[in-house]
Amino acid sequence: MRALVIDDSRAMRRIVTAILEGLGYEVRGAGHGREGLDVLDEGWIPELVCVDWNMPVMDGLQFVSAVRSNPAWRSITLMMVTSESEHTQIVRALAAGAHEYVIKPFTADAIRDKLGLLGLLPQEVAL
Amino acid sequence: MTSTDTGERRRAADTRPVITDLLVASTVESIAGEAWVALVGEDEVLVPIPGDLPVDPVSAWVDVVGPWTGSVVLTTGRDTAADLTRALLGPAVPEELEDEDVADAFGEIANVVGGNVKAALPGPSALSLPDVGAAPAVRNPADVCRIDVLWRGQPVAISVQGALPALPLPHPPHENPMHENPMHENPTHENGASL
Repeated sequence: MRALVIDDSRAMRRIVTAILEGLGYEVRGAGHGREGLDVLDEGWIPELVCVDWNMPVMDGLQFVSAVRSNPAWRSITLMMVTSESEHTQIVRALAAGAHEYVIKPFTADAIRDKLGLLGLLPQEVAL
Repeated sequence: MTSTDTGERRRAADTRPVITDLLVASTVESIAGEAWVALVGEDEVLVPIPGDLPVDPVSAWVDVVGPWTGSVVLTTGRDTAADLTRALLGPAVPEELEDEDVADAFGEIANVVGGNVKAALPGPSALSLPDVGAAPAVRNPADVCRIDVLWRGQPVAISVQGALPALPLPHPPHENPMHENPMHENPTHENGASL
């Protein structure tokens, strides 16, 4: 399974990447939403995108809206991973098309639990 | 019928909360503690004991803009910031840690702490991208909620500080407001080297 991790913090990209690789994902990273769209435009279509909210160039909400407006990317599951924890912001993200919302700080178990709920744990991990 | 403008209505509309009306230090301590455990490591605790910051500290902060406007500022020594980066990155830490790595990691910790502080404040508010360097000046010493803790024996300060100058103090209409408010006079922080 493939995952794209979009976060302007390289440290946070490394952390999320390490968690997902530990679950068996093949992971690519991007520093903001526009870079993330570039990866998708290349034809590298992941099952999962973990995307931060506050980023330069293109923020996570704009990214989610852009992905949802393209029918070719309908299969992608979008998970916001962000320190934006106001209820109104969570509602906005879900309304824009995000499937799940993880608030920083998180634990590896929290990510794993969310992926389990989404049916996105690789089979050998889920067993 | 005529009426006299006493300024009372304007002053009532000018009421702006200071951070100590909205947040207590224990909330900041709790938010920071959770961030440390999740980001830095399960056994990494913040001990609520103040320590002396080095003379050349580094700060990372995010700005909150909303009903309360200000910054959430983390300040520590440069070596401690580097240690935090190593702990945060764990096995993913590069062999040669560069300043950019430290700024990125320390900024992300400020982002996580700041985002959760924002959620504890009245909203809606916007959160800026993190910045790293010399901390923004304290504009109004009455609008600061600060905790001082130790991490691995090293001092870390977390300051939630208003970005706006103090409002004029309420005064009877017959008094001259021009020389009453000491908050406007060169606010400085009593504790941090570059705060």
